[in-house]
Amino acid sequence: MMKDTSALVVYAAAVIAITLVHHTGLLAAALAVAVVIAGQRAARLARKAFFAIVVFNLVVTVSYVVVSLVRDELSLHFVLLMNLRVFLLTFLGFLVADRINLFKAVSFSKTLSYLLTVAASQIVTFRRLFDDFRMAFKSRTPNPARSKDLYRHGASAASFFLHKSFLESAEITDAMKSRGFFDD
Amino acid sequence: MIRVENITHNYANGDKVLNDLSFAIGQGEKVSLVGANGCGKTTLLKILNGLIVPTGGRYYFKDTQITPKTLRQTALAGPFRKNAVLLFQNPDSMIFNPTVFDEIAFGPRQFELDHIDERVRHWANQVGITRQLDRPPVELSKGEKQKVCLAAVLVLEPELLLLDEPTASLDPRSTGWLVEFLGDTDMTTLAATHNLGLAAEMGTRSLVLSEHHELIFDGTMESLLKDTDKLIEANLVHVHRHKHGDVEHRHYHIHDWE
Repeated sequence: MMKDTSALVVYAAAVIAITLVHHTGLLAAALAVAVVIAGQRAARLARKAFFAIVVFNLVVTVSYVVVSLVRDELSLHFVLLMNLRVFLLTFLGFLVADRINLFKAVSFSKTLSYLLTVAASQIVTFRRLFDDFRMAFKSRTPNPARSKDLYRHGASAASFFLHKSFLESAEITDAMKSRGFFDD
Repeated sequence: MIRVENITHNYANGDKVLNDLSFAIGQGEKVSLVGANGCGKTTLLKILNGLIVPTGGRYYFKDTQITPKTLRQTALAGPFRKNAVLLFQNPDSMIFNPTVFDEIAFGPRQFELDHIDERVRHWANQVGITRQLDRPPVELSKGEKQKVCLAAVLVLEPELLLLDEPTASLDPRSTGWLVEFLGDTDMTTLAATHNLGLAAEMGTRSLVLSEHHELIFDGTMESLLKDTDKLIEANLVHVHRHKHGDVEHRHYHIHDWE
């Protein structure tokens, strides 16, 4: 338990430090250390981190480059710094999730344990439901589905999940109240 | 109609969901897929609907092996999707059209069937949702949503009807209608349930999955209901203390509550 808790504290400190460091060399060195710690899992975690951020970073980077070029103040150092920082933070996040048992890490706090349990159960439920939505649509459409139907299905699913998360939050809050969670 | 050969499926973490299943279902057969919660019934139905690719084994629908490659070919995927349909356990996952009419008409429009209006009204009438045709399906009760989904799959008049706990959200009258419909239709049906009483009404043959994800019984419902050892092994009956007059004792039961 202590090992997991300590690792979580180190991770939190690292996240704060990374957001304060503006030197690309230091960030690259930190990434190298993280890769060494990840060992054989490094390539897999790097791939996962890359795909998790690629769309977001591409949009932000392209937008920044276009605006900077118009204003004639493009800084490649800033582009590198931003992308490196986001990649490092994401890689570290995946590394921590891969290496430590979060439930053990927060077991020192009743409140954090509850919150983590609630969040984890929501994630599992929503992921399962999302798979069902995707499969139900696939089951009802011959290849390839029409764009209009894809958009309509996406909008309907998004609305369902928003509504469900709102209802479930209210229900979970009531359940926690009922069990004395807010009485401390 | 369908043939399953040595189907095995594991989760990404290596946990087994289905273990070496083999069976065949002939045209027009009414089969109940029975097993305790978590035994793999839903996964099997999704494999039979071509939604999950099994880790191992082969699945044939009308002598065509169903693989990701088959389902990428429009000429094969189209008829398969029209003729092998799955009613999901959670109706919310199937509903996304603006009105009940559009929800039921979605399939016929996809497959460019004729007389769509007539078909939609016929099946809406069959399941008892004619008055809801202009309403947004998301606003309906869970039972009504289930009827919409049922109409949405039946309107295609498929050859193979896969049903995942189809009566879970239905009221007793609609459950009665569904049981009678399944008995009368020419469609081949495979209905998953953990309710032995309903299983006996929805099929004349039963496939039983154990909690070890293996097929432990394939035979008539009548013989299954007499095989107490199998029922215990599959966790389909339970024991608890109760009274007969003044005598209190414990023995195995089947309760048909949902």
